[in-house]
Amino acid sequence: MNLGISATEFVSQAKAGTISVEEFVAKTLDRIKLVEDKIHAFITVDYQNALAKAKEIDKKIKSKDKVGTCFGMPISIKDNICTAGIKTTCASKMLENFVAPYDATVVSRLKSEDAIIVGKVNLDEFAMGSTTEFSYFGPSRNPWNVDYVPGGSSGGSGVSVSAQECLASLGSDTGGSVRSPASFCSVVGLKPTYGLVSRYGLVSYANSIEQVGPMARTVEDVAFLLNIISGYDSHDDTTVKNEHVDYTKDITLGISGKKIGIITQMIGEGIDKEVASATNRAISKLQDLGAECVPISLDAVEHSVAAYYTIASAEASSNLSRYDNLRYGFDFGTEGYEFKAFILKARSNFGPEVVRRMLLGAYVLSAGYYGKYYLKAQKVRAMIKAQLDEAFKKVDFLVSPTMPILPYKVGEKIDDPLKMYLTDINTITANLSGIPAISVPFEISSSGLPIGVQLFANSFEEKKLLQAAYALQETTNLPEVPL
Amino acid sequence: MVDRKEIEHLGDLVKVDLREPEKYIKQVEQIIKYFDRLDAVEFNSDATLRNEVDAENLRDDKHEPCTISLIDHLKKDQNNFIRAPKMV
Repeated sequence: MNLGISATEFVSQAKAGTISVEEFVAKTLDRIKLVEDKIHAFITVDYQNALAKAKEIDKKIKSKDKVGTCFGMPISIKDNICTAGIKTTCASKMLENFVAPYDATVVSRLKSEDAIIVGKVNLDEFAMGSTTEFSYFGPSRNPWNVDYVPGGSSGGSGVSVSAQECLASLGSDTGGSVRSPASFCSVVGLKPTYGLVSRYGLVSYANSIEQVGPMARTVEDVAFLLNIISGYDSHDDTTVKNEHVDYTKDITLGISGKKIGIITQMIGEGIDKEVASATNRAISKLQDLGAECVPISLDAVEHSVAAYYTIASAEASSNLSRYDNLRYGFDFGTEGYEFKAFILKARSNFGPEVVRRMLLGAYVLSAGYYGKYYLKAQKVRAMIKAQLDEAFKKVDFLVSPTMPILPYKVGEKIDDPLKMYLTDINTITANLSGIPAISVPFEISSSGLPIGVQLFANSFEEKKLLQAAYALQETTNLPEVPL
Repeated sequence: MVDRKEIEHLGDLVKVDLREPEKYIKQVEQIIKYFDRLDAVEFNSDATLRNEVDAENLRDDKHEPCTISLIDHLKKDQNNFIRAPKMV
């Protein structure tokens, strides 16, 4: 049995009865047991329920009962998305034993379509990081070379899909957290338009920029998952009441006659040479398919890292104030505490990156600095959006490398947070402006590490974006993960 | 310039006891210095980007009974009382 098939292929085989869901899920769980020591994608694996659910679905298929569109597809969920009955730790000591009383909307929608949640996957603590090294439970490793980082913060999602421990995953993308591990682990990852997917049940980090995003082996799989998780949710008033779109329909339409802008600020100085030349080859392939590619300058991108980290830290410092051991946290017993000591004791369970971001957030929001940092960052955000609006009058899509560099060694940048922040330069534009962006695996470097190419479209144009991503995917021929 | 006094003040604001404030001084200062480049941006508009939701698009403000037994998730002692630490 091949665990490396696409989710779409799995569905058609399960539907036709050529594979048993139970057998596939059991093999998936065996695979997890076999490779987890090397890559550490999971925080929690739900062995028992996954198998029981698989048996139940097989029964439904056999007796020709109505089965959800996922047909028992094994899926992993980033551990900052709430799942009733399974721990949601946010990879933090603070929530080490937290079990949410409800499912996030994205999770309940997947479950109602008979997806099987095999487990919860690793991330940087509270999704703050770009490598998964800031997890309280230890770093995840890149399946393409375990000495290297898998990207982050949805590193566990990227690793679990790439290493064939599941068919698809949900991550969350605040500044590139879906696309970075997608690029570093050679899988597809989509950051949807802000407001397309419900955030109800996603543990808040920076509410105004984050979205839940699907990750899978193919663009069709990502479109399939988006069909399920997108749409208005009365529990999240930022979701938009658009008409339902079938993202899988016409995905093979192609990009002939489309215009693509090459973002000059994202492919010039500071970009790894191999990444730049792979991206240029991707651009040539898009041209061969009939697209016209032109350079586009978005000079506001140069200010995006400063603006992004100002806004994200400010929102983080506010969101994380709820972890005070009154609403969430530890059981300290009934001995007497002085109030401040009690709160400080509870909050000593945050890791260093989370503390750093809270300190930065408090700094930029301080009375004397609000206008100097936070307000300016918000203006940069408007400037980026205005420049993108202009760009999308001229082109259908934008293209860039997903990450400016190749995956790097575990520990290489952990003591230099600014250096790590700067690696987000190509991804955060989509978060600050709200537009959708997708990372498509394109090549493997001479050192055997994955390179992804990023495509952007205007807000709520995911259908077009997935068609372009599909066209690019069809030009590639990538090797199997060497794990 | 971020000094020890400032970092301890920030620690107070976010209610975190910084056991090694020195560790954070240099890093926070370096990052804030990077943020200072926002000073050099020339804006031709005062517009900021906000996600606005029309009041009429908010869901109806009506009572919906909670279907989850939240009480089951509370920490209780054997007599079914909710237990909380004593504050002095």
